[in-house]
Amino acid sequence: MSWTHEEVVIEVRSVVAEHSEADVDITETSELVADLEIDSLAVMEVVADLEDRFEITIDESELQDVVTLGEVVAAIENRLEADDKLKETVSA
Amino acid sequence: MSSSIRTVVQALEDAADSVHTGFRFIDESKKSEPFFTYRDVERATARYAGAMQAMGLKKGERITLILPKNQDFVFAFLGALRAGIVPVPIYPPAGLRKLGGYLQNTLHVVRKSGARVVLTDGSIRRLLGTVQSGAPDLQRIEAIESLHDSREPFEPEKISLDDHCFLQFTSGSTSAPKGVIVSHRNIAANVRRFMEDGLEVETGDSGVSWLPLYHDMGLIGFVLGPLFYQNTMTYLPPILFLKRPVRWLETISRLRASISFGPNFAYALCVKRIRDADIEGLDLLSWRVAGCGAEPIRACDLDAFSRKFAPAGFDRRAMLPCYGMAEATLAISFDRLGKGVRTENVDADVLTGELKARVADPGRCRVIEVVNCGKTFEDHQVAVFAPEDAASEKPLPDRAIGELRVRGPSVTSGYFGEPELTKEAFAGDWLRTGDVGYIVDGDIFICGRQKELIIVNGRNYYPQDLEWEASRIDGVRKGNVIAFGTGKPLEDRERVVVAFETSVSDHDVRETLKQEVRKAVMRATGLSIDDVVDLDAGVLPKTSSGKLRRNETRRLYETGELFKRTSARRSDAIGIAKQIVRSQIAYARGALLMKK
Repeated sequence: MSWTHEEVVIEVRSVVAEHSEADVDITETSELVADLEIDSLAVMEVVADLEDRFEITIDESELQDVVTLGEVVAAIENRLEADDKLKETVSA
Repeated sequence: MSSSIRTVVQALEDAADSVHTGFRFIDESKKSEPFFTYRDVERATARYAGAMQAMGLKKGERITLILPKNQDFVFAFLGALRAGIVPVPIYPPAGLRKLGGYLQNTLHVVRKSGARVVLTDGSIRRLLGTVQSGAPDLQRIEAIESLHDSREPFEPEKISLDDHCFLQFTSGSTSAPKGVIVSHRNIAANVRRFMEDGLEVETGDSGVSWLPLYHDMGLIGFVLGPLFYQNTMTYLPPILFLKRPVRWLETISRLRASISFGPNFAYALCVKRIRDADIEGLDLLSWRVAGCGAEPIRACDLDAFSRKFAPAGFDRRAMLPCYGMAEATLAISFDRLGKGVRTENVDADVLTGELKARVADPGRCRVIEVVNCGKTFEDHQVAVFAPEDAASEKPLPDRAIGELRVRGPSVTSGYFGEPELTKEAFAGDWLRTGDVGYIVDGDIFICGRQKELIIVNGRNYYPQDLEWEASRIDGVRKGNVIAFGTGKPLEDRERVVVAFETSVSDHDVRETLKQEVRKAVMRATGLSIDDVVDLDAGVLPKTSSGKLRRNETRRLYETGELFKRTSARRSDAIGIAKQIVRSQIAYARGALLMKK
């Protein structure tokens, strides 16, 4: 299956929302740990869920210095692109 | 196979005869699992040793290893040992975390160890620019990829038992990680005891481990121990376990492994995360020793694991509580095999009030369940002392609570380049463990610790790191932050509290400040902060010399008194005055005695 940018954002947001216990809005600049209160152990569960959704394997090296939701989206897109599973978004 | 005291290098050369057993590395992304017999390992490590010698590294010099791939780590580590080069393992940067604190910690370890080379992988190498420029002894940062096919000749070095084997830096701190010196003699002594007496290991035993190799339990327990006895080991990447705990148990099941260890949190994570549907395919009958150590053990977590995986053939008697620490190489005590988790209930009030462990009936008073960690090994001794017994002159009787101290051939000679810290670590010739507990007929029970360390999910966090992060926020009084762990460490997860002082009086501003403190600390450490406490200036307790008193703050927090201390400056001043008067009286008394 291939994904567009918008689809990736929606999926990442929904996975993250399932794990966040913080009562705040989730935006692209939300930090998983500091804003959404997903601790370092729970974050690994998020990664596993993302791998299942997108059918990819994310190496830890691809997550270095990645802290916001937007950066997670970018990391996923890099992986999808490398696996040839990212669709060009058609601009209106 | 010889079990006599040998260096790791000798053990590796002896193992080269083995063409059936060895190391298997499961690589998540490649979905492959290359297997190397000990003969292969002997050959491959000679190549790495030659490559390191070609870099100009000499016997006794240090090389820092930041290698996230288990296979790279094992070969580079053993290669360095063969050349007499002293490896210094550092944990790789964790994903989903800012790099700032990591780089600071790494720089500290590189400088402290005086390492001339950092060996890492290509992707991490790119992140280490500031480390290169900040460490004067460091000559190069090398990528492991350039060593894979090295053809440099290896010149064997003479390695003796008293040579330094490696430096084990205590993990998790940006303030002051210390490098525990581990000699070949320490390793040989400890490995022999935990493999032969602790695990009663046999030729057919094989292990599975996801434990990080930069930590003593993974490295000594599951690389060096098996190497000495030529047992087959299979390694999973730690991150694979954290993402999918079921992979740990699947691997044990598939390979019919008999020995595997984890900290308490690992067993709890399996209970929480593994679905019932996944248990159906598991067969854990072969798992004869399920060791648990490296953090406080909670019987309820291990019981829950035993219950959950009983349908898959897990035998609750396989559970083996252990006690150990890097300063004692790895293991200090193992409980007896095949007994499962043995605990006793002690009266909580007598424990804290009279400092005695009195067995009590849960129906009749408040009790604490304490896990039996077994006896220490032959030619090692563990005893309990009063913390103020600086020369370890009077061991306390059975069931008295005090500081556990250990001595024997597994105990380190000290911290690398830290004579002062080394002196502080010993009381007479006994190593202060910093753990509080008691002994009954030689069996060791741990009930807390003196150290101010916060342990969550098997990782050690130093309060100084959390405090430093909080101190950087505008509005927080610099140097007036105290972080501590609280709660009942034996019954519940440790709760993490950060208390800070501020001169801000506006309620809303203070609330915002609390949020900022919480975020800053979480961002830097990945740790959930359970409570942030804002206090007026002067409320945090200090010693007369102005040092922060963490344990006292914890006590005040637990009793609720911390919140009542609106401003303690005045009472502190009175307290200090009282202390001065008291010390003067004591001085006068001393002077009188001298005269007599």
